[in-house]
Amino acid sequence: MKAIMSLGALIGVVGLLLLAGMIVGIVPSDTVRLIEGYMPVQVIAELTLFVAGFTGISYMMSAMGMAFPRFWQGISCWAFVLLYLKFRVYPPIPFSVRAMYGTVSLVAVFMWVSASEEDWKKFKQPIMNVMDAKTGGNRLLRYAYLIILPILIGGFSYNAMIPKSEEPIELRTVHPAPPASTKVHGKTYTLQTSQNPYRVNPEGKYDQEYSNANIVEQGMGRLMKPNANPWDKDAQGYLKYVREGGEIFFQNCHFCHGDNLNGRGLHAFAFNPIPANFTDPGTIAQLQETFIFWRVSKGGIGLPNEGFPWASVMPPWEQHLTVDEIWKVVLFEYWHTGYYPRTWD
Amino acid sequence: MKNSFSLKAGVLPFAAFGMILLSGNAGGLAFAADSLPAGFKAGALSPAPSADMIEAGKRVYFTKCVWCHGVDGAGDGPGADRLWPRPRNFNQGTFKIRHTASGELPLFDAKKPVEAQNDLFATVTHGLPGSAMPPWEGILTEEQRLQVLSFVTTQLVKDRNFTDTKSESQTVLQLADLAPIAASEESLKKGAELIVEKKCVECHGMEGRGDGNAFNLKDDWGFSIQPANWHKCWNFRGSRQDPYNVKNIFRTFSTGVNGTPMPSFADNTTVEERWHIANFVNSLCERDGEGKPLPIDPQADKPKINFVLPSGKVDGEIPADPENELWTKRVRRYVAMGGQITHKPRNFVNRIDDLWVKSLYNDKYVVFMFQWDDRTKSVAEGKLPWAPTEVNVDVKEQDPKTGEEGSIAARQNNYTVYNDAVAIETAIKWKELPAPIKPRYLFGSNEQFPMDIVKWEANGSLHAFKGTGWDKDFEERFDYEENIKLLHSEWKNGRWTVIIQRPLGDKKEQDYDSDTFFEMGQYIPTVFFAWDGHNGDAGRKMAVSAFYYTFLEPPTPQEAYIYPIVIAAGVVLLEGWVLTRRSNKRKAKGL
Repeated sequence: MKAIMSLGALIGVVGLLLLAGMIVGIVPSDTVRLIEGYMPVQVIAELTLFVAGFTGISYMMSAMGMAFPRFWQGISCWAFVLLYLKFRVYPPIPFSVRAMYGTVSLVAVFMWVSASEEDWKKFKQPIMNVMDAKTGGNRLLRYAYLIILPILIGGFSYNAMIPKSEEPIELRTVHPAPPASTKVHGKTYTLQTSQNPYRVNPEGKYDQEYSNANIVEQGMGRLMKPNANPWDKDAQGYLKYVREGGEIFFQNCHFCHGDNLNGRGLHAFAFNPIPANFTDPGTIAQLQETFIFWRVSKGGIGLPNEGFPWASVMPPWEQHLTVDEIWKVVLFEYWHTGYYPRTWD
Repeated sequence: MKNSFSLKAGVLPFAAFGMILLSGNAGGLAFAADSLPAGFKAGALSPAPSADMIEAGKRVYFTKCVWCHGVDGAGDGPGADRLWPRPRNFNQGTFKIRHTASGELPLFDAKKPVEAQNDLFATVTHGLPGSAMPPWEGILTEEQRLQVLSFVTTQLVKDRNFTDTKSESQTVLQLADLAPIAASEESLKKGAELIVEKKCVECHGMEGRGDGNAFNLKDDWGFSIQPANWHKCWNFRGSRQDPYNVKNIFRTFSTGVNGTPMPSFADNTTVEERWHIANFVNSLCERDGEGKPLPIDPQADKPKINFVLPSGKVDGEIPADPENELWTKRVRRYVAMGGQITHKPRNFVNRIDDLWVKSLYNDKYVVFMFQWDDRTKSVAEGKLPWAPTEVNVDVKEQDPKTGEEGSIAARQNNYTVYNDAVAIETAIKWKELPAPIKPRYLFGSNEQFPMDIVKWEANGSLHAFKGTGWDKDFEERFDYEENIKLLHSEWKNGRWTVIIQRPLGDKKEQDYDSDTFFEMGQYIPTVFFAWDGHNGDAGRKMAVSAFYYTFLEPPTPQEAYIYPIVIAAGVVLLEGWVLTRRSNKRKAKGL
C-alpha cells in the first residue's frame, strides 16, 4: 500500500512541479506536448495521473504525521483546476468559459467539504480560529487579513477600472441554416433532393453503399483501403472522380484547409475565422453533401449574418470552378476524411 | 544513508553528461585531423527497409503525399504548379535538412524513429515551415511515417541508393556532443564579424533579411530561390517547430542545404566559429520588447496574434522619425498576412507574410507606422496602365496546371514590376452597424456600408479611397487627401518603414459618409493590405490580413482612483462588522 501511495505521491509532485514550471515559464510549455488527435485522451490521462498524485501526496503526508487540513485541500484543489484550465489546455479557453468551469468546480469543492456536518466543521475551523484569534499567530494573521484584504480588493477594482484593450468576443455560427435551394451557374439546386452526380459505382449508377465502402479507413492516419486506390489507372466511377476531386482540392483549397484537410494550410494562420477542419467530427461529418455544395459554391460572402460573411475569406467557388468540379471536390473531402455524408432520412 | 544515495544518483547523470561533452569535443578535434570536417564523424549506412514497410508506405504515399509530390515522386503532383517553393522532386535524392555532410544523403533508418538520428523522419514529423509541407505528427503514426519514408527512399529516389556503400557514404554531424557556446555579447560580436568575413551577407543581406543576392539564385532544378530571412526564424525550413533553438542554425550552417546555393561551411569554419555565427543569426530573429522570443502558436508554428492594435496618446506633434523614443518605446503588433485567395486574381504565393504595426494619436490625427520585410524595393517603370482607383486591373492568376516551365515557381522574379504598396482599411459608419457586423473585409460591402482605404505606393503616392465592394472601382476622395500626410517612407536592407498620418475624423466639417471616425476607447475594425511589386502584385493580387481593431487608448478616468478607495473602506467596515458579531456571539455563549 505504502509503495503504491509513494509512487502516486511521486507522480503528483512531478506533475505539480511541471505545471508550476510551465506557469512561471521555467519549464518550456511544450515539455509534454499536446498533440492534436491524441489531445482528449492525453488530457484525461494527465488528469487521472494528477488525481492519483493527489491521493498519494495526501496519504503520504498523513502517514508522515503532517496531515493536510481539509481547508487547504479544498482551496488547493480549486486553485489546481483554475490553473490547469488556464495554463495547460490549448487552444486557450476564453475567460467566460473558464469562469463557468471555475464556478462549477467551486460548487463541487463546497459539496465535497460539506458532505457531512463533521467535514464542514473541519473545513471552517481554520477560518473560525483566525476570527477568534486565540493564539499569537492567529492574531497576527487576523491583522494581516484586516489590512491585506481591503488593499487587494481595492487593487482589483482599480485594475478592472483602468482602460484596457481586449479583443471583443464575437460568437459566430459555424453551420448556419442553409437555404431551401441555391442557384449556381444559372441552375437551381434544391438542397433536399439534389445528389452528388459523381457518387456512382463503376457502372455509372448512383450508389451510396459502393462509395461508402471505398472511403479511407477511420483511425490514425486515415489511409485508403488497400484495394481502393484512386490513383489506380483502372479506377472507374467513384474512385476516379475522387482523384479528380483531389486534383482540384490541391490546386485550390489546400492553401487554407491544409494538406490533411485539417484547416492548417499555408495561409490559414493569417485568417480569422480560421479555415474549417474537415477531419473534425463536428464539420462535414455532421452535414449533408448538398449543404457543403451550397457552402462551397457561395463561399463566405454568401453566408447569412450569423456566419460573419464580412470576415470569411472563403471564396464563392462558383467564380472559380464549374459545378462538376465543385461536386468532385465535395466527393474528395468525404473520401479523404473517411466520413459519410449525412442523409436526409 | 538514504540521503547520500539520492545525492549520488543526482550526481551520476551530471558526471555522465560531462563525460559525453568532453569526449564529443575531443572526438571532433581528433577527426578533424583525419580530414573530416570539424564536428563530424564517419557513420555507417542504415540497412534497407523491409518489403513490408515499403508496401505499407505505398499506401500512405498514395493517400497523403501523391497530391503534391506526384505519382513518380518527381514533385509534379496536381498541386505543384501553384506552389513556390515547388514540392520536392525525390528522384535525385536531394534533401535539404540533414545531419550529413554537404551532398550526402540524409540520415534515414526505417527502424529508428529518433529525430536526431533520422533526418527524413524529423522532416515528415515537423514539416518544413514557410513551405506547404505540414507537420505530420498527430496525423500519421510513427510507424506510418517510417513506412512512407521507406517507400520514398527505395522507390522514388531513383538516381541514388540509400544502402549502396560503393556510391554513398555518411559523415555525420555530432550535434548532440557539441556543447553550444553561450550567446554572450562577445560571442554575438564575433558572430557579427564572421557573417561578413564568411560572406553570408552577400546573399542574406547586410541585416540578414535575405535581400542580398535575391534575384540570381537558382536551385538545382533551375527555379528561383530566396535566401532565408534571419528575422523570421519560424519560417526556417529546418526550424523543427523549435524556431529559437540555436542548434538548428548550427546544423544548417554546418551541413548546408542540398539542392540550393547554400553551401556547407564545415570545411572553412571551426566549431567555435559556427556557434558564434549561429548565436548571432539567432539573435536577429524578431523578439518582444523585453528581448524574449515571441510566443509561438503551436497550431500554426507562427507568432501568436493579438488582434487589438492599441494607439498611444501623444501631447503635441507626432514624430515623423521612426527612431524617436515615442515610436521605439511604442508597443508593436504582429499582423499576419495571407494571400488574397477569395476573388480573381488569387495570390497563391504572397511574398509578404507579415507586417509590424504601431500607432500613436493626438487630438487631431492618428498615425500608423508600418514595417515589413521585402527583399526588393519595387517601383514600377513609367506610368502604370491603370488609374489608382481601378480595382479590376489586368493581372492574371496562375493557371492550375501548366507544367514546370509555366509554373508559379518558374515565374518568380520574371513578373512585370509594379509598385510596392501598403494600405490600411477601416470601416466607415461602423457605429451604425450593431457589433459584430462590419463592412466586408475586401473593400467594403456596398454603397451603404463602405470602407475607408488609405493606400501608399512606392512611387511616393498617398491616396484616400472609398471602397464599396470587392469588384467596384474605388471612389477617390480628392478633398480628403489634403488632410492625410506621408510622414516617412524608406526601404533599407530589405525592410520598408512607412509612417502615415490621417485625421481622427471626428470633426464636424469632415465628411462622415466616406471617412472613418476614430473614436477614443472604441474598437475600430481595421484590415491591412500589402503588395510586393516584384511579385507582380497589383489590384486584388495582394496580401491581406484578417480583421484587427484599432483602439485609441483613453487616459485613465478619475473614477479609477476614487472608487477603489471607497470599496476598500467598505471592506474594512464589513470586516469590523463580522468580527464584532462573532465576538458578541461568543460572549453570549460564554455567559
